[in-house]
Amino acid sequence: MKTRFWIALLAVVFLLAAGACLLLYRPQSAGLEVPDSVTVVSSGRTVATLPLNEDTELLVPCQNGYNTVTVKDGKVSVTAASCPNHTCMACGAKSSGMPIICLPNRLVLQFSNTNGLDAVSK
Amino acid sequence: MKRSVALFIILTLLICAVGCAPLPEPTDTFVAAMDTEMTLRLYGDTDGSAAKYLTAELLRLDAVFSPTEESSTLYSLNRFKTVRDPDLLALLQTADEVSARTNGALDVTLLPLSRLWGFIGASYCLPTAEEISETASRTGADKYEIVDDSIRLKGDAELDFGALAKGYAADVCRAYLEGLDMPALLTLGGNVQSIGDKPGGEPWMIGIQDPRQPESCIMTLALHGTHAVVTSGDYQRCFDLDGVRYCHILDPVTGSPVQNELCSVTIVADSGVLAVGLSTALFVMGPDAAFDHWRQSDDFEAVFVLKDGTVYVTEGLKGAVRNCEFEVITR
Repeated sequence: MKTRFWIALLAVVFLLAAGACLLLYRPQSAGLEVPDSVTVVSSGRTVATLPLNEDTELLVPCQNGYNTVTVKDGKVSVTAASCPNHTCMACGAKSSGMPIICLPNRLVLQFSNTNGLDAVSK
Repeated sequence: MKRSVALFIILTLLICAVGCAPLPEPTDTFVAAMDTEMTLRLYGDTDGSAAKYLTAELLRLDAVFSPTEESSTLYSLNRFKTVRDPDLLALLQTADEVSARTNGALDVTLLPLSRLWGFIGASYCLPTAEEISETASRTGADKYEIVDDSIRLKGDAELDFGALAKGYAADVCRAYLEGLDMPALLTLGGNVQSIGDKPGGEPWMIGIQDPRQPESCIMTLALHGTHAVVTSGDYQRCFDLDGVRYCHILDPVTGSPVQNELCSVTIVADSGVLAVGLSTALFVMGPDAAFDHWRQSDDFEAVFVLKDGTVYVTEGLKGAVRNCEFEVITR
């Protein structure tokens, strides 16, 4: 009787511990498809997160001027910019990988899908 | 006895359950400094204090090392020819060490030549041999000295540390984060610095940009732990004229852009400054001398991409390479 009591108590503790671990480590959106997105960061601050499955256009003003960020057909690009070199516009339309950056205007477009990379040495 | 054993087991399990904790979440901070956009990905910086400290440090170092900001310490050195600053001194001494071990392939006095070729301000041109010779007379390791912790320049000499400053900044950040035992991944321009192990146990996946297809990576390195990964190449600031590529990395001997078989050199080392210094020096040296230098050293690994498309990887790094065919350099 006593042995069975302790075995039962042990089993309950096991289940509670396992449940606690599952709760702490559960995926945030288990079973749900989260569309790829791009986070728009201006002068170090996040101003928007745009899903890539919805066409949209966003004007991002900054101290030095502006950038226009366009999401179309699942990709994002900088379609207009006040910076002198337009390097950001030359990056073209992307849906993943390393960020698109406009250095003079301090704009960073950061992708949720980085193709498995943490960073690129260049 | 059985009850005691059972109690002990239960307590152990409870302690284990309580000790389970979710992995630290990463937070990204973006900093504009040293003429580039920097990303600080810190794991477990819940109150943002580490990001705040590092941001302030990066801005402080920018104010020391900028060659163009008139308020910077380096600008003051180049104008008034003498300055006392601990960060400038430390960086110069490290640069001297790299220069000495590479027979002068790294040279921090080449700013006048960079300006002559138009690499400052992107107004590229082809100077004459006489112009190069005259300007080169202002460069060289004999054009500066360190006296009582002060740096003194001779004649019209000027110093420019270029990406070395970013390597130094990476080392400062690394020391701080290691003190906190905080894993992190820093991208300072194109320089990458991993600190500690990535939470969850997976390796840091660091791509190396394809020198001929900038939107692609020529390989990925799967690295565990703390590493600086730095690339120098002929594609970063360059111009093409009559089928010849002129890149911003100058050969101290000729005073002209490096012309050899290399497209890019990537160094993997513990120290950011060492990685930057060696990536530049080995690019200048060319593949044969660079391979020999690795064989004589024990503090870095490397990837070399040649113009004919061949990729060479030093033996210590071969196990980390993903998605690339390469030749192995052995000792």
